Amino acid sequence: MLSRVADSIYWMARYVERAENLSRLLLSTQDLLLDAGSEGSDSSEFWGPILSTTGDFEKYSELFPRVTGKSVIDFLTAHPSNPNSIANCVRAARENARTIRDQISDELWECVNGMRLYVESVSTSRHQGVAFFERILRGSYEFQGIAASTTPRGESWHFLRVGTCLERADQMSRLLDTCSALSMEMPPHPDSKPLRWAALLRSCSSWHAFQVHSARLDPSKVVEYLLLKEEFPRSIACCVTEVHRALLTLSNHDHFDDIPEHIRLAGRLRADLAYTKIEEIIEAGLHDYIDDLQTRLIDIGKAIFEAYVLYADLTPVAEDTVADMPPPTAWHMGRESELEIQQQQQQ
Amino acid sequence: MTSLFADYDPGTFFDEMFEGEHATRAHYQAVETSMGQMSPPDYSQRQRTADSAFIRQGVTFTVYGDKEGTERIFPFDLMPRIIPRREWERVEMGLIQRITALNHFLHDIYHGQKIVHDGVVPLELVESASHYRPEFRGVDVPHDIYIHICGTDLVRDKDGEYYVLEDNGRCPSGASYMLENRNAMKRVFPDLLQSLRVRPVDAYGTMLRETLAHLAPRGMVDPVIVVLTPGIYNSAYFEHCYLAKQMGVPIVEGRDLIVRNDRVYMRTTRGLEQVNVIYRRIDDDFLDPLVFRKDSVLGVPGLVSAYQKGNVALANSIGTGVADDKAMYALVPKMIEYYLDQDPILPNVPTYLGIDPKECSYILDHLGELVVKAVNESGGYGMLMGPMATKEERAQFAERIKANPRNYVAQPVLSLSRHPVFVDDHFEGRHIDLRPYVLSGDRVRVVPGGLTRVALKKGSLVVNSSQGGGSKDTWVLWDDVHGGEDMTTPIS
Repeated sequence: MLSRVADSIYWMARYVERAENLSRLLLSTQDLLLDAGSEGSDSSEFWGPILSTTGDFEKYSELFPRVTGKSVIDFLTAHPSNPNSIANCVRAARENARTIRDQISDELWECVNGMRLYVESVSTSRHQGVAFFERILRGSYEFQGIAASTTPRGESWHFLRVGTCLERADQMSRLLDTCSALSMEMPPHPDSKPLRWAALLRSCSSWHAFQVHSARLDPSKVVEYLLLKEEFPRSIACCVTEVHRALLTLSNHDHFDDIPEHIRLAGRLRADLAYTKIEEIIEAGLHDYIDDLQTRLIDIGKAIFEAYVLYADLTPVAEDTVADMPPPTAWHMGRESELEIQQQQQQ
Repeated sequence: MTSLFADYDPGTFFDEMFEGEHATRAHYQAVETSMGQMSPPDYSQRQRTADSAFIRQGVTFTVYGDKEGTERIFPFDLMPRIIPRREWERVEMGLIQRITALNHFLHDIYHGQKIVHDGVVPLELVESASHYRPEFRGVDVPHDIYIHICGTDLVRDKDGEYYVLEDNGRCPSGASYMLENRNAMKRVFPDLLQSLRVRPVDAYGTMLRETLAHLAPRGMVDPVIVVLTPGIYNSAYFEHCYLAKQMGVPIVEGRDLIVRNDRVYMRTTRGLEQVNVIYRRIDDDFLDPLVFRKDSVLGVPGLVSAYQKGNVALANSIGTGVADDKAMYALVPKMIEYYLDQDPILPNVPTYLGIDPKECSYILDHLGELVVKAVNESGGYGMLMGPMATKEERAQFAERIKANPRNYVAQPVLSLSRHPVFVDDHFEGRHIDLRPYVLSGDRVRVVPGGLTRVALKKGSLVVNSSQGGGSKDTWVLWDDVHGGEDMTTPIS
């Protein structure tokens, strides 16, 4: 498979997953606010952490003077200068799909293209409605379902899964971090924040699964469930395990000698998550643990890029002096600059 | 109930469907019956079904001169253009004859130039053609084939005769629309397609792949073939992708390829993989910054050298533009006589060459009744439609012709044939042309039909998508309807 195609499949999957997570986060925050009376009514208290989650606080403060629900939602759904807004994630997913539409099924392409057509068709005000978020969520579920039922289980599939799972793990770690400053106490303790923990579970579709898993809404159990329980498909442990397995399949690596860097990093993180106890994490501090985790997820992403996209350059095919171009990569915001160059006259 | 065609006015043109006021040509009668009895809302509904399928599937082209990279669908008219068997067979023979002569010509021009020595084609015309690549003289290409994929534009005049309007022998586009139009018709009018016995076009992908595989080094069973695209912002990107998918080969951009030791490789997740055949949809100028335009970032440095050494095949070859130069076009009938010793089956449109002083002054004196074309432009650019131009436009064009006569040719304004097109709630006549796709591999093959392009603007003669053109599905029938080429059976 072309390196650029692998990179584009990976990023297509990441952007779809990013749009999904953001939509669910905004939905659950809106719901939380409706219940929030008992835990304080200052809405900036809820919206502020969301901006930190997405890592866009700085960019936001350049554009808006204050943190209000309306402007945060505007910023995160469709603001043109936020490259990580839902609308821009959908666009980026679709542009990547477009560069590889010969490699993905027609059904998968139509799904991503349909999301983008929807995003372009609704007016700015409607971006903020529940219907908008629900359409994006449904689009992403469709994407997962179509991908699973139409993608041959070769390189395409594994790169797609690596993209989805790495993004999901990253988003999940950010979500957890929004609650890392909360008390771990349960009601009736005055510091307890049951609604916030419930909202956290809802924002990653795990409310029901957790209810079945644990009788009480114990914050440390919630953190454990979302971080370490491999059985839950959105837990970080589950995502990292799948990333590691996919990478092993991709590289055909089944022994402990000369382990490639990306496999080493993924395998080590997988082992850490499997053998760490929740008590250790809470004692050391959830925020610091998550900080470290995010760095490691980023390093895995970089190592994958080096292994599969830069790889071609590293393969020696004897010496030659022909000038090289930079390695071909996926589509990200800003690629529009290539627009005119590619537009030659057609016969 | 009155037919949707009841008020149709064929005008004074050659109408593909009607002869005279209301005599339906035999091969259109089935369509007239089934489409004619639909109600306008019903017909519009089917049109919307087809359009929305194109949008959903992203069957689009990129609009140029638009910063946003806006994508549009290529307007599609449901009413099919129908060609009976015998009429098509003659067109097909003519196309095969023509491409055969053009490939002989290119081989000759890039080798001994016999046709120049024998005085049939003036050397000046060859050397001044902007797509002539003298550095390729003496370079052998696989099987001596230069143009592997040709999109020849045909028009019919008021007598119904097919004329060749131009040969597109560089990177002709549109084949994907031919295929997608048929898919759309299958969904919207399945019964009609079945009842009429229409020749399928969907073998095009396989034929194209075979044509390309034929270029690989002898004995290679499974050559690595790729489609080389400028990228997603090129207007024909959809097509590049579509054809790659039909053939089951990767689509690559220049940056995916790398040349080492005069061999072309693509960068894959498992390292470098050698490429044997490139169906390139990038113009010569952009192919290799080491040889042609230095500023090209679309191409592959070293590609041309690899090609000259025979380590990779290109389709079409480099330098084919010398044969589809609009001035060279005028000499194609002579090439057919010279190389094949045959009379041309498909006539040319009479063409005046700016390079010939006598013909140039004729052009300048008759600007008001001629179509003037810049020889190296395509896509409907650089044209003057004499009868429709203003005085100032004509004066401006005259200056340009005088400044560079070699760069211009002129033709009489043809009265292009018309075809019914659905407008709002009824049918109106619009001018059309036909672009069949000719593939030269181990033999020359023509896909039955091609892309029928329509000038959707009332009265317009320009069919290019960039200029408000649309398209139709083209149905070549397995049979002749009521026999003979003259199929004008009035409705009884």
